[in-house]
Amino acid sequence: MNRPLHTEPEAPVIELRSVCKRFKDTTALDSVSLSLAGNRIYGLLGRNGAGKTTLMSVLTGQGFHSSGEVRVLGGSPYENDSVLNRICFIRESQKYPDDFTPLQAFKSAALFFRHWDADFALQLAGEFQLPLKRRIKKLSRGQLSAVGVVIGLASRAEITFFDEPYLGLDAVARQIFYDRLVQDFSDYPRTIILSSHLIDEVANLLEHVILIDRGRIVLDDDAEAIRGSAVTVTGAASKVEPFVAGLTVLHRETLASLASVTVEAGLTEAQRSEAADLGLEIAPVSLQQLVVRKTLAAAEEFSANAAATEMEVSR
Amino acid sequence: MNRVLNVARMQLINKWTFLGIPAIIMASAFLITLAIWALIPETGETKYAGSGQAVMWYFLALGIQSLTLTFPFSQAMSVSRRTFYLGTLGLFAVVALATSVIYYVLGLVETATGGWGMNGQMYALGWIAAEPGPVQILFYFISMITLFMIGFWFATVYKRWQATGMLVAGIGTAAVLLGIVALITWQGRWPQVGQWFAAQTPQTVAGWAALFCAVLAAGSYLTLRRATP
Repeated sequence: MNRPLHTEPEAPVIELRSVCKRFKDTTALDSVSLSLAGNRIYGLLGRNGAGKTTLMSVLTGQGFHSSGEVRVLGGSPYENDSVLNRICFIRESQKYPDDFTPLQAFKSAALFFRHWDADFALQLAGEFQLPLKRRIKKLSRGQLSAVGVVIGLASRAEITFFDEPYLGLDAVARQIFYDRLVQDFSDYPRTIILSSHLIDEVANLLEHVILIDRGRIVLDDDAEAIRGSAVTVTGAASKVEPFVAGLTVLHRETLASLASVTVEAGLTEAQRSEAADLGLEIAPVSLQQLVVRKTLAAAEEFSANAAATEMEVSR
Repeated sequence: MNRVLNVARMQLINKWTFLGIPAIIMASAFLITLAIWALIPETGETKYAGSGQAVMWYFLALGIQSLTLTFPFSQAMSVSRRTFYLGTLGLFAVVALATSVIYYVLGLVETATGGWGMNGQMYALGWIAAEPGPVQILFYFISMITLFMIGFWFATVYKRWQATGMLVAGIGTAAVLLGIVALITWQGRWPQVGQWFAAQTPQTVAGWAALFCAVLAAGSYLTLRRATP
């Protein structure tokens, strides 16, 4: 039963314009603007408290934004059943009705998600070795995560959000999740937004990466473009430094006369052969490394700005 | 509309919560009361018991539970707050109506059997039992809805503002009640208040309670509109 594509490819399914979310003493989302095309797998990356869950809550009408405009599938998601019934968001700390079993949670999901596939849900539950008739409140953390993963996958919602779905899942269960996600995505294309800490593990799944830090979007690009966007140059410090002069340096490590500098630049052929002539080693930067470097660089910039503001104020 | 019905169906997936546990409470309260009456020596006087209302208090707890646990789950099921609200209240209204009819019928049986053969009064309580059937049913119905709405509203306040909200709501309610008492005392109006209460009939009490419910229902909805799971 192959269903037609839910939405036209490349049509934006999510659009955010200058969305801010302020809590009493923090800014969880700081003027976020995004436009996401449909039928792709997005990685929403960032540190704890960077604003990932807040962003997903706003996108699903579960949370509120302070200002800006949010459009999901052409409408505002807040209290809008015609948008809501096409999306699925299981929170990382999802609560279930008292005494519910996984099977009862799946029965509920069948009532509300129109593309719900009950057989698929049972198959997944079997693979995760989920006890279907045990009360959810008695499940382990990993099993609790598995309930959310099963609902998210089997809902086949046009936009499905996974918020750190692997918490407590062992390596085997995580691999099952990644495999089923990719498999089911190719059978039933839809938009998947996956927030994750385990960047290396999910790097190969992602088609597009959004990096958020302190509520700001630091990076929003195709995974393919990002992979080529930074390199690490290693060699004698005296030769590395002139080579990277003028490039955006993300990270610098030195050990005696050796230097290893990560630069944000796709090197040209000429540059690569120049490096080879100088005896410098060029290595690609993994997505995880890049995310760490970008986040730390953003943090430095942030504290530098804050210090500058403070000095302005004290003057 | 379909999704509203589905919210009600979702609440009934676990049959125990809305149907099983209330049935057990009603049955056990009834049987325990009968047992107690059987132990009391027969003196010819009527034996009263408040145990018939036991299930009503369960509905207060249910109002709290349906919000604290089922509401966050309904959000994960992509149900809007409005749909959740209508489905939950609608289902509860049906359950409360059914329970009210059962109360009324049990009251009739109680009267017909001479207080379960033991001259007891559990359901056909004097003040209400004299009224026509529909009034009795309405009275029970409104009472249950009131308790449910109190639980539901307090739970929405908790959901939105946590302990601070509960504290403010609790102290606020106490302050308002105290203010009213102080005003009556200061004005020396207690005799009139006493007369007013004595003049109330089940119909008028139901009317006031219905008004109170309407205020709570509107308040709950407005609070829930901005609540996060």
